[in-house]
Amino acid sequence: MTQTTSAPPATLSPSAPQAAPTGPQSSPAPTNSRQGAVRAWFDGTPGRMRALLILAAVVAVLFGAAAAQGFRQSEGALQRAEENTAQLVRIQAIHTNLVSANANATNAFLVGGLEPPAQRQQFVDSMSTAAKLISEAATAQPADQEALGALNATLLTYQGLIEQARANNRQGLPIGSQYLKDASASLQTDSLPLVNALVEANEERVATEFNNVGNGNVWLYLAGLATLIVLGLTLYWLARKTHRYLNVPIAAAAVLVLLTMLVGGTSLANASGAAKDTRGDAYADTLALSRARIAAYDAKSNESLTLIARGSGAAFEEAWKKSSGTVDDQLAVAAGSAPDLQSKWSVYKKVHTDIRESDDDGNWDKAVGQAIGTSDQTSNVAFNEFDKQSSQNLSGASDTTRAELKDARDGLPPIAWLGLPIGIAAALLITWGMSQRLEEYR
Amino acid sequence: MNKKSLIAGTLALLFAATACGSSAYDATPLPVKETPPAAKPAAPAVQDCTNALQSYLPDGPLPAPNAMPAGSTMAKIAAHGRLVAGVSADSLNLGSRNPLTGKIEGFDIDMINAVADAIFGTPAPGQPSKVELRVISSPQRLPVLKAERKPGAIDIVARNITINCARWKEIAFSAEYYRSGQKLLVQSDMTTVKSLDDLSGQKVCAPAGSTSLDNMIKANPKVVPVTADTDGGCLVLFQQGKVVGITGDDTVLAGEAAQDPYAKVIQAPPFSQEPYGLGMNKDQVDFVKFVNGVLAEMKADGRWQISYNKWLLPALGKAKPPAPVYGRS
Repeated sequence: MTQTTSAPPATLSPSAPQAAPTGPQSSPAPTNSRQGAVRAWFDGTPGRMRALLILAAVVAVLFGAAAAQGFRQSEGALQRAEENTAQLVRIQAIHTNLVSANANATNAFLVGGLEPPAQRQQFVDSMSTAAKLISEAATAQPADQEALGALNATLLTYQGLIEQARANNRQGLPIGSQYLKDASASLQTDSLPLVNALVEANEERVATEFNNVGNGNVWLYLAGLATLIVLGLTLYWLARKTHRYLNVPIAAAAVLVLLTMLVGGTSLANASGAAKDTRGDAYADTLALSRARIAAYDAKSNESLTLIARGSGAAFEEAWKKSSGTVDDQLAVAAGSAPDLQSKWSVYKKVHTDIRESDDDGNWDKAVGQAIGTSDQTSNVAFNEFDKQSSQNLSGASDTTRAELKDARDGLPPIAWLGLPIGIAAALLITWGMSQRLEEYR
Repeated sequence: MNKKSLIAGTLALLFAATACGSSAYDATPLPVKETPPAAKPAAPAVQDCTNALQSYLPDGPLPAPNAMPAGSTMAKIAAHGRLVAGVSADSLNLGSRNPLTGKIEGFDIDMINAVADAIFGTPAPGQPSKVELRVISSPQRLPVLKAERKPGAIDIVARNITINCARWKEIAFSAEYYRSGQKLLVQSDMTTVKSLDDLSGQKVCAPAGSTSLDNMIKANPKVVPVTADTDGGCLVLFQQGKVVGITGDDTVLAGEAAQDPYAKVIQAPPFSQEPYGLGMNKDQVDFVKFVNGVLAEMKADGRWQISYNKWLLPALGKAKPPAPVYGRS
């Protein structure tokens, strides 16, 4: 099996090393006569016809395969854009839930004594929603699994610290507030950078897929043009050789290829255009709204931390201003999907300004009352309004994005499936057309 | 044969192209966490004086509340409507936030309230004194007092500051209001540990920017110092097993041991003397004199003793108010 010695084996290979002279008429050895037959088959005009037939048929089948590939690529890109958008929204929901949980935990600590049960419930709900979303996200995108696993690990630490803070607080031990501070710091320095990396990676994936939607056309056009040229040359050569103007079956094959190219190309261009619109519209709004929500929760957390710091919170107030600026910027981008959101945010900003005024005047207790008190003008109330409204707007925008992408995909003709059969049909037409001429040489 | 291999190659290429368009993405990169280099504690400040405890002698009796001399620092504080004080919120019994009420309370806070009451008059029963308590960390104590004097700046710091020569160059101190000493807190089952000398090569926590940190390095340079911004930060590290002990003032350690039944303060004489003073701005000498007057009154009329008995007596035993030393000019 392994040897390559000089013993002449009963090889079928025409390229055996000890192959005899290559002239067609030189040797009557079985191998050579076989080679001679092949040569004879391609000899003369009928031979060239046969060669052309094979070339044109192969090119036609390849065209079919390329068209199918182009469509699969575009359809795949659309589907993956949709899936990655879903993943991005999921990751941002994780982010929102985490900062919301942290805002609730820090907020609860502003009150002396026990935290309000409703607030504790909100914390628990946010954390369990985040946990569910993390496992969903890990299933949906295997590439995110490692980062999500790391995120999970940091959240265990975070939640452990929060529970220790709570237990100490329950016993009236001041050390509880240190645990709370550490918990908040671990979320900021360990968990959120992971979430940000996930958001970045998924935004990039969505962008890549949006860009890929139009690329399917390259396959279709390149293969289509090559096929048309081959078929055109074939027709021209046949017309000259056989003195018949048109070989109808081959011309039909060319028309079939041309039609596939035109119909496919137009529909791919349409889908690509639709995807572009979605990207500039619903998807941009989705991104802006989720960024606004994350920044808003961050601001709310910082408001509580400023109050908890009791006069040493200048850095937290700076962070509040930065986050609040981000909210304004993003809301301006998403104004189309969420026209009345800005006014809700402005109401909250006004309450925040009042809180800062009270606190800066030395009236800390009043400031805390304005933040978490029982009146209906507190920052908690104003923020909840914004939260509810923005959450609705966000799910609206993200649903629209996905629906539009799905429509674009559903609108594509089934060339991904029909491509190869079309190519084969064209090849058959070519074979048919060519054999009509070959008949004449029998 | 060649044609066949050409076709096979093309097909292979096609499949490769298909595969590269599939959903196999690079794994999301994990953010690289930069670990800050272990902070080398600065060299202990030079203590080149012999009269650190000397403060300014009060100018006669205190002015009546709400009648501060015109143009004085106290008059400015009165005009601002409240005394702004930098305090700790996590040193149990000195200055800590009571989780049940949300109020900051302790021995240090009583001192602040007394100063405020001397300016604004004793508040009606049930009313708080006119103070704004700002929670500051240990390294912030001197910078907040050196900051520009303007309404709302911190007037006075009561956050267990040790009086020493190096700090006198930056801020001014009242007369001593409590004599503390540095001790060591370890886990209650560490029976073989008698002093810092037994902890060579082990991690021990002290607040950043404190004399406790300097003293620990001086007492045993082989101990691995770990710092936290606050006393509570050290206790958390201790409870998480990241340090084997905490060193600090006996007052602070008593508060920490009270929050953790598995911690004990080693009952050896303190290895340093830590005289506490209230910190003030260096240039507001009139205010320092005024505060010294208030402290002298408190020590004389028993308010000092009442406050001590309430906060520190149970953990630290009996003590008398330290005698003031004046004579700085």
